Amino acid sequence: MSVLEYVANGLVFSSIIVLASIGLSLVYSIADFANFAHGDTMTVGAYASLVTFGVVGGLGGSILGLPYGFFVALVAGIAVAALVAVITHRVIYEPLDASSIGLLITSIGVAFVYRSVLRLGFGSDFTEFDITLLRPIEWLIPYGIRMTRHDVAIVVSAAILVTALHLVLQYTDLGRKMRATADNPSLARVSGIRTARVKLWMWVIGAGLAGAGGVFLGLYAQISPRMGFNILLVVFAAVILGGIGSVYGAMLGGFLIGMINQLTPLLTDIGIPIGIEYANAIAFVIMVAVLLVRPSGIAGEGTT
Amino acid sequence: MTDDTSSTDSANTADRRGGILGALRNPGDYFGSLRRAEQGVLVFVVGLLALLAYGVVSGGLGPAYFTYLVGLVGMYILLTFGLNVQWGYTGLINFSVAAFFGLGAYGTALLTADSSPIAGQFNPLVGLLVGLVLAAIVAVIIGIPTLRLRADYLAIASLGLAEVVRLIVLNEQDLTNGSAGVRAIPGFFEGWPLLETFPQTMPGLEIDTILWETVVLQSSFWQGLLNVALVTVFVAVTFLVLRRAHQSPWGRVLRTIRSDEDLAEALGKDTYAFKMQAFVLGSIIMALAGVFYAHLNLYVSPGDFEPINTFYIWIAVILGGSGSNRGAMLGGFVVIAIREGTRFLGDILPATFPIGLPDMLSIVETTYATIIGNFASTRLLAVGVIIILVMRFRPEGVLPPQHELIWPGTVDSSGTERPERGVRDAKTGDSQ
Repeated sequence: MSVLEYVANGLVFSSIIVLASIGLSLVYSIADFANFAHGDTMTVGAYASLVTFGVVGGLGGSILGLPYGFFVALVAGIAVAALVAVITHRVIYEPLDASSIGLLITSIGVAFVYRSVLRLGFGSDFTEFDITLLRPIEWLIPYGIRMTRHDVAIVVSAAILVTALHLVLQYTDLGRKMRATADNPSLARVSGIRTARVKLWMWVIGAGLAGAGGVFLGLYAQISPRMGFNILLVVFAAVILGGIGSVYGAMLGGFLIGMINQLTPLLTDIGIPIGIEYANAIAFVIMVAVLLVRPSGIAGEGTT
Repeated sequence: MTDDTSSTDSANTADRRGGILGALRNPGDYFGSLRRAEQGVLVFVVGLLALLAYGVVSGGLGPAYFTYLVGLVGMYILLTFGLNVQWGYTGLINFSVAAFFGLGAYGTALLTADSSPIAGQFNPLVGLLVGLVLAAIVAVIIGIPTLRLRADYLAIASLGLAEVVRLIVLNEQDLTNGSAGVRAIPGFFEGWPLLETFPQTMPGLEIDTILWETVVLQSSFWQGLLNVALVTVFVAVTFLVLRRAHQSPWGRVLRTIRSDEDLAEALGKDTYAFKMQAFVLGSIIMALAGVFYAHLNLYVSPGDFEPINTFYIWIAVILGGSGSNRGAMLGGFVVIAIREGTRFLGDILPATFPIGLPDMLSIVETTYATIIGNFASTRLLAVGVIIILVMRFRPEGVLPPQHELIWPGTVDSSGTERPERGVRDAKTGDSQ
């Protein structure tokens, strides 16, 4: 396998991690706690789209090898993940009279509830979307890149979502309110911003992106109740590398960590005996190194 | 904090002077002197023990398995003590309890087991030492980058640590035997005079119980009894050390750090050093539990590193009462009740809903069948729901620390009148 191939894989995996880490970072900056249920929110999105896709089917035509029905399922996955997060916020987090640490511990409980309910409903085995696997794109093979059109679809969709988020944050009223709330919630409130409403939108956007990430992860690999929890460490590493609470940092961190994760086989190729099974461990080592050298991450300010 | 409660609790503490003796002399009065939460806990623990005892007497529970369960309770109590030092005393969030537990277990297993891929057949005391040292080293390594930062960084990093330790144990087959685990670990008393052969020398007893079964005590029971004795010693020593430490100036600094770290720093305390000491101490206690487990179960595998084991201990600590060692002991019982209780319920409940329902309610039947049929998932659900409920409705836990923070000698036993019940009950809510 060539270096280009690893980079191509890295690009696809990065897209997924970026979607997940933006959501985690948003929650961190506005709700002010590390949400350990974020990975399982991804899983919720993946299963929601799996079910939807099973119901609506292909719907005729296809884009980039993916039937129209898949995109309907993607929207359903995003919507369900957002809905579940909003309900969780309303029922569990909001009535809780707790510090950010209390919320953090509660979010572990929330994660377990999500995962166990999915396991009760769908069993703990792996499943996948009922979409025919494609052959790699022909004209890329001479360059040593084996990439399917599905992979291209993941990267393009992620790029669209991230761009949309950027536009929302920078050019809309809601985006300005969100940035103000993240910056200083009390000041935002006395300026007349309804921070409670902003928080709800934050959950919708953050969890929606996580849901999309989950759907793509399911398409890229497989779907299982543990998929989100397994990837949570990588997502946290991305968020810390980018700078906790910074959305743009999370994009950068997600890209870097996703890339490094898929470049792990290079280590074996150049003679370092660290196999692909340690890809997540490398993310962890990077995270610890960042905490040692620059705890605020690449884009963060002094958040010690 | 202690000043508020000391006046109202002094009479209560004075009652406790009589301690166990007093309780035995006059159980009714002793029970009446407890707060309502304490009464509930007492009823729960006694009820659980009675249930277990009934299981043994009626033959449903083998006596050897009974001692195994009691050993597990002790192990969970130790783990809960460890996390209590970190989270309860100091406010450090450690999500890698299972990793430190596993380090202790693997540390001793790899040194003592016959099938160990690296060393093997050392005395378990060596294994004990190595397990504890291993955990201490890893604790320092993970503490250095995270303990200077906000508490949530440790939470995130420790979650990662747990995963990495699990990956290493799973993949480094030459060192750890990989997913096959380590078998043939000797009992803890291997190589000790007298105690090594104790189970074999004890006679097999047959005891006719009042019920219909005859309980046979064989060498496996005596072996189990020996383990219970061992864990009792571990728990007792740890409890005494922790109680002393918690009441000492060192413990006071830790509590200050938990409630207001800036304050502790302003008072000139090196909070980083204190946090590191608490973190390492807690991790060593967890490893101690792991060492005991390895010699109790005689087999360790990467499955022992599963994150759910960490969160059992979290439930035990936050439910029992963060910072309270009595609460930690309660937590140990609760964990066993959850683990064995769900297994037990699954065995006795019918696999399908017992009553025929109209078609409209068929969802009840299918849900019931799913929940009974998938035990691990149901248990996970229970863990999640309990965490949420405790954080929502009783974040201070069932037995929050109160009188145990007060030096026995500092309380004037003759002075204060015993206050009205209602007053004390009202007080219990707001102090934490």
